[in-house]
Amino acid sequence: MKEILLPNMNRIELTRIPFIKNTLKSRYPQLAVFIVMLVGYIFAILAGLIGTPVGSHNFSIVFVWIAWWAILILVAVPFFGRGWCAVCPIPLPGEWLQRGAILAPPDKRPKWLNLRVPKMFRNIWMQNISFLLLALFSSALLTTPNITGIVLAAMLFVAIGLSAIFERRAFCRYLCPVGGFIGLYSQTAPIELRIKDKQVCVKCVGKPCYNGSDAGYGCPWDVFPGGMTKNTYCGLCMECIRTCPHDNIAVNLRPFSADLAKPTARLDEAFKAFIMFGAAMIYAGVLLGPWGTLKDAAYNVGTGAWFMYAVIFLAIIFIVLPGLFTLGIMTTKGRQSLKQRFMSLSTALIPLGLMFWVAFSLSFVLTNASYILAALSDPLALGWNLFGTANAAWQPMLTTILAPAQTLALVVGLVWSARTAQKVNEAGTSTIPVIVYCFVATSIMLWLLL
Amino acid sequence: MRLHFSLLLLVMAGLVVAFAPLPVPAVAPQERTFEVDARQYAYSPSELKVNAGDTVTIKLVSTDVVHGLYVDGYDISVEADPGQSARLTFVADKPGSFRFRCNVTCGAMHPFMIGKITVGTNDWLYRSIGLASLAVIGFFPLSSFLNQSKKKDERNIAS
Amino acid sequence: MKRPELISRILIITGILLAVGAPLFLWARTPLIHARMAEDGGWNPDVIQAETGKPLHLKLTSDDVVHGFAVGQMDMQSVDILPGKVTEITLTFDKPGIYTFFCTRWCGLNHWRMRGTIEVTGGSDIITAGGSSEPASVPLYVSLDLDIDAPHDSPVIPNEKPSAMNGQLLGANLPIDQSLDYYLSHSPYQVFTDLSDTSLTESQKWDAVAYLWQSNTTPESLANGKELYAQNCAACHGENGAGDGVFADDLAEAGEASMQTMEGATDMVMQTPVDFTDPSRILGASPALLQGKILRGGMGTGMPMWGVIFTEEQIWDLIAYIYSFQFEYQK
Ligand code: SF4
Ligand code: SF4
Ligand code: SF4
Ligand SMILES: [Cu+2]
Repeated sequence: MKEILLPNMNRIELTRIPFIKNTLKSRYPQLAVFIVMLVGYIFAILAGLIGTPVGSHNFSIVFVWIAWWAILILVAVPFFGRGWCAVCPIPLPGEWLQRGAILAPPDKRPKWLNLRVPKMFRNIWMQNISFLLLALFSSALLTTPNITGIVLAAMLFVAIGLSAIFERRAFCRYLCPVGGFIGLYSQTAPIELRIKDKQVCVKCVGKPCYNGSDAGYGCPWDVFPGGMTKNTYCGLCMECIRTCPHDNIAVNLRPFSADLAKPTARLDEAFKAFIMFGAAMIYAGVLLGPWGTLKDAAYNVGTGAWFMYAVIFLAIIFIVLPGLFTLGIMTTKGRQSLKQRFMSLSTALIPLGLMFWVAFSLSFVLTNASYILAALSDPLALGWNLFGTANAAWQPMLTTILAPAQTLALVVGLVWSARTAQKVNEAGTSTIPVIVYCFVATSIMLWLLL
Repeated sequence: MRLHFSLLLLVMAGLVVAFAPLPVPAVAPQERTFEVDARQYAYSPSELKVNAGDTVTIKLVSTDVVHGLYVDGYDISVEADPGQSARLTFVADKPGSFRFRCNVTCGAMHPFMIGKITVGTNDWLYRSIGLASLAVIGFFPLSSFLNQSKKKDERNIAS
Repeated sequence: MKRPELISRILIITGILLAVGAPLFLWARTPLIHARMAEDGGWNPDVIQAETGKPLHLKLTSDDVVHGFAVGQMDMQSVDILPGKVTEITLTFDKPGIYTFFCTRWCGLNHWRMRGTIEVTGGSDIITAGGSSEPASVPLYVSLDLDIDAPHDSPVIPNEKPSAMNGQLLGANLPIDQSLDYYLSHSPYQVFTDLSDTSLTESQKWDAVAYLWQSNTTPESLANGKELYAQNCAACHGENGAGDGVFADDLAEAGEASMQTMEGATDMVMQTPVDFTDPSRILGASPALLQGKILRGGMGTGMPMWGVIFTEEQIWDLIAYIYSFQFEYQK
């Protein structure tokens, strides 16, 4: 309701600033970043495959899992939402293939199959599955350059393949394991791309933002900007800014988590929240905890212990966490069905989940950031010393502020989630079970991390 | 007015929970020696407990390849080859819970080879849970206040 | 095609080619010697060619854990090879021959299997085994015709650790052969029995034996032996010589299973490492016998062959140190 009454309240339109507008509208700045990213990405694949098998000194591991991950989870997602997707190089070769051009206006006739993704797959279950698959192998993936190289290459080639079969960015929208959770948490970001005036869209002929025009391509993410109410599926690719003939697209600065006022209404999205929430807790325990048996089980993919680990991992995410949550909300009565309440209240886990990841990553990243220096000077581990930092010793950073920073993140996340729970809750029912649930989870996370 | 007051109260309570000095049980400092075995990728024992002020000696015994042991917060470390155990002695003068980790690359999971030493009690964990509880307790009155004022705003704007 | 489109395509293609080509090119141009745990392949390559008088530059890197590099019987400082780092070293060989290089930091149960060879040619081009050492002199255990695998336990053992200091007090006019050959070829027990004609008590005899052993070594030799022992032996034989090193259990357990992973060695059986603090075992062994064991290794047990690694002097130092587990020496 509020959204319709006060469409632009609390928003600052960044695209009013000519510099920002021009930068976004022009294809060249983005293209330049794309090329740099693509070169870096391919270099990371090569380094993973031919560089040293020692993870902590391999460019691919250090740059993907320490540097990129730190930037993604600590800066890009919380502050820019899908900002990473705006510069991600993975879809670039596929889009080139699909469009037959880098910059030139799109052809009227599709070059390839250009199929529509079957209805059955037009949700994020495939993304949930792809994320979980990587998550179950994550201990090996995070530490083995070969595996990281292969996974990076596979993402690139699958994206190219899907571009040839389906229309638009099918990989990003329905399969990318990273895109899935960026989408989930991008709802909390203080940045959004939205239309300025609904009436203009209603009258707009041809909807070039969705269908494309000489000025650019139709929304690669298969969303109609005119109807967009949350960040989840907008990849901030900026095509619609280029195509909208009525200058009706704005990039806004807005309050954090504005999208969360609108509760989740899909089961795939609700489970995404649980998957990410649970995975952060499991990682904190397995990777950062002092329990060697757990680490062995997680690392030795294919052994009996690993299957146990996988089963427990999946059970926590699909049974324990949602089960307790359901039990909690069953203690209060509401007019809506239980399923509806489950879905909408799961929205409350999004801010806290993001903060779980922030707290977890802070520890991992600050401890290992010094590897970046060494890898930068000797990216292929051939004994170079490009910047004189090849022999930088491993040294954890900021160990004194780590614990307070983690507490701060988690407490902020808890309050944020409590507030979200109240916003998405139907009038007249208590949010106490959800808040208690979040509090217990926060306490467990604190215990695991501190 | 009321909002400001309760906010202030909350912040003050938070500061107390976070920083108020706790009575430290006076225990006479002891000498403690732990023999910690290191293997790919775990220590055993992996959780050590000492009292603040104790003189702690960790005898690191590597049982497969060269490992190290670095203590977070204390910023000290030791390295041991199999067959050549090494000792790390320090005065545990900083209370709290600290991770110790391997600082000699020892294979794939090396960055996650982690143990934990608790000096005294892990106060910060209890304080953190206290802060989280306080946040939840303080949240209800504040949010109902916010809700009311928001409704007022909306009515004002709508009219 | 419009110009910007063309330029972007060229840029992207060049970028991709560079990102693929440059690393491959640079990687192919830098041959590294990779060190891995023996289970995962050991040295790669494990045969290196060199010529006498020409400096041999090596770039070494480790693919897993900390390793080290040294060439057997060569007067050189060993270097560490750290995971993901490159260690450079330059060697010059004076004599042709086949040299053994080996890992100097313990990297698991099969650490000692991490060996490779450097084939040095040049000059007369005659390749002799044993590297820089003089035309191999026959080791003592061979010239003495010792069966080093025969049981050699001492049937009598002292009640307490024999003291060299007490032995010294007994005076120098004991009927003991003071020659080096006598010491090298006799076990403490044999010396003890050689003293049976004297009027000494049993413990005095043992003290005299201890003194003989002390007088055949020097503090420097003991110190050097101790260091060699810590680096090379303690992981199995224990830091205190008790046969309880960190790999002792693994050796017993792994048994055949671990051996079968090593090429062509399926019929080997692991044994537990010898306990040097066990008097019957050590007091029954002569220095020549221990030299034989160390030189040749345990033939299928976990005991490595040290002949190509240690110099003769290093082996005697080590033996002197091993006896010190049995005797009380002057501090
Ligand atoms: S969804 Fe995945 S592939 Fe697509 S832009 Fe985002 S991160 Fe890149
Ligand atoms: S092109 Fe512009 S005005 Fe037309 S529907 Fe899209 S956003 Fe609205
Ligand atoms: S075209 Fe517009 S709405 Fe579609 S993904 Fe790009 S920026 Fe978002
Ligand atoms: Cu280690």
